[in-house]
Amino acid sequence: MEIIKVEGVHYNYYNRFPALIDLSLEINRGEKFAVIGSNGSGKSTLLQILNGLLFPSQGRVFFHTYELSERSLKEKDFVRFFREKVGFVFQDSDIQLFCPTVIDELLFGPLQLGLEKNEALERAVEIMQMLKIENLKDRPSYMLSGGEKRRVAIGSILTMNPEVLLLDEPTSGLDPKTQVFLLELILALNEAGKTIVIATHDLSLVDELQSKVAVLSEEHRIEKIGSAEEILRDEDLLLKVNLIHEHVHYHGQTAHTHIHSHYLFHRH
Amino acid sequence: MKNNIPPFLLNTPSSLPSKRGGGKINTSYIDKGIESFAGILKEGYTQWELASKTGFFYELDTRIKVVFWLFFIIVISFKKEILPELGIFFTIFALSLLSRVNLINFYRKIFLLGFIFGFLISLPSSLNVITHGKVLFPIITLSKPYDFWGYHIPEVIGFTGEGFSVVALLTLRVLNSLSISFLILYTTPFPEIIKALKILKVPDTFLVIISLAYKYIFIFARIVADMHLAKKSRLAGAVNRSDARNWVAGRIAFIFRKTQLKCDDVFKAMIGRGFSGEIKLYQYRKIKGRDWIVGSFLFIIGSLFLWA
Repeated sequence: MEIIKVEGVHYNYYNRFPALIDLSLEINRGEKFAVIGSNGSGKSTLLQILNGLLFPSQGRVFFHTYELSERSLKEKDFVRFFREKVGFVFQDSDIQLFCPTVIDELLFGPLQLGLEKNEALERAVEIMQMLKIENLKDRPSYMLSGGEKRRVAIGSILTMNPEVLLLDEPTSGLDPKTQVFLLELILALNEAGKTIVIATHDLSLVDELQSKVAVLSEEHRIEKIGSAEEILRDEDLLLKVNLIHEHVHYHGQTAHTHIHSHYLFHRH
Repeated sequence: MKNNIPPFLLNTPSSLPSKRGGGKINTSYIDKGIESFAGILKEGYTQWELASKTGFFYELDTRIKVVFWLFFIIVISFKKEILPELGIFFTIFALSLLSRVNLINFYRKIFLLGFIFGFLISLPSSLNVITHGKVLFPIITLSKPYDFWGYHIPEVIGFTGEGFSVVALLTLRVLNSLSISFLILYTTPFPEIIKALKILKVPDTFLVIISLAYKYIFIFARIVADMHLAKKSRLAGAVNRSDARNWVAGRIAFIFRKTQLKCDDVFKAMIGRGFSGEIKLYQYRKIKGRDWIVGSFLFIIGSLFLWA
């Protein structure tokens, strides 16, 4: 059953620069869905549209059967419903963390939803345990490392218990250990029934998640939608959208050239 | 990890909203302010795109344009009669028309700013309390005239004909200064203006400050716009005013910290690339014959207005 439906969406920045052109897709409940594309292809814009932060210049977006529009997202009941159901983790955790301390950050969402203080605190504690950030409880966000900020940013959304998680480049700029931690977390959340939508250009992440994949071209259109396996095997497609490239590297003293992705095919 | 998932996350509440409506969320003045701040980005892109077009004034050498701009600002400030100011207004209008500038967009801003900073600010000076003369529109009649601290308050206070002339002159000066400045901005990419100012021997320190300030405005307009979206995505309803003010205060502190870090990084990057306090430009293109002709023509027009 589809939870998100995008129909013929166009979006232009400043009414001039196209970011998305005639984009249509459907995301089912409980699905792992990755939007992949090179830098500037429109992945983050699409996620912001799915979160009702931007509105398409043409086309329509539905959450369940409800259309997301400027008008519907000004209705008190609908905003509360929608924000509870759909959580968005931004690429830049710095802009997302705006409360004085980590615990305030985790409590912000549930209190917004009108939960009792005790229940909100219970949720925050449980999330801190899961994300292993109990020791950061009273720290301000600017005193956290990149990986800690990302954990807190995800935690601040999870305390709202959303049905859909939109994650913009969740593993970018993180050390390998934190990347693995987040990957396991995403898989566990999906198994717990959450719908996961990720924007990324990290093909290894797509491979690990084995999600459904929509490929965005540099012309801001959907090139193809398919399974991770199908997309990752399509070398011509990945070359066309600039997600893989020809590269030279060394085995001992021997240099050789490949036309494929380091992560997926070479695995080193 | 699987076993660590808190039970509340496994519990999916009903997927349907219990009801619709519940009233509208009003956009707060803070939201409106942030949205208009984000509009700066749009303005910047628009300026850059518009300034890169082709047209009469677009193709003119930037140095000629900057000299013309400075010269006309002086002429506008010197003239004390309405007629030459009107002449300058129509000359700039003709230049804008020839340059195929979007006149509606162009004059909408000019008239709005001119109305506020020209007309409204100078309007009180048309009262007979400030500018003496024959009262055309009386507004208050007192029981008797008053004199104190060397000031004379007449019995009838109102707008005078002489006062209106002063207001008209000041408003026209503001409109003309704005028109000429906007014409330059609309037809010249910002980096070209900086280069031209450098060639015209404006001190480097001043130019570095202007360039960095211009760049920072865009960086921070983007940060503010992104922060606004991040907050919006976690808001399940309207925020009361005191919470909104607290958020703004917290974010100002954050931006201040980020600015400091950004300033340090930019300066380190400049030093790392050999910056020693002096801006160096690659060779500027030569001024063409057409530019000299147009420049001379504009200089003659300016001189005529100065002489008139």
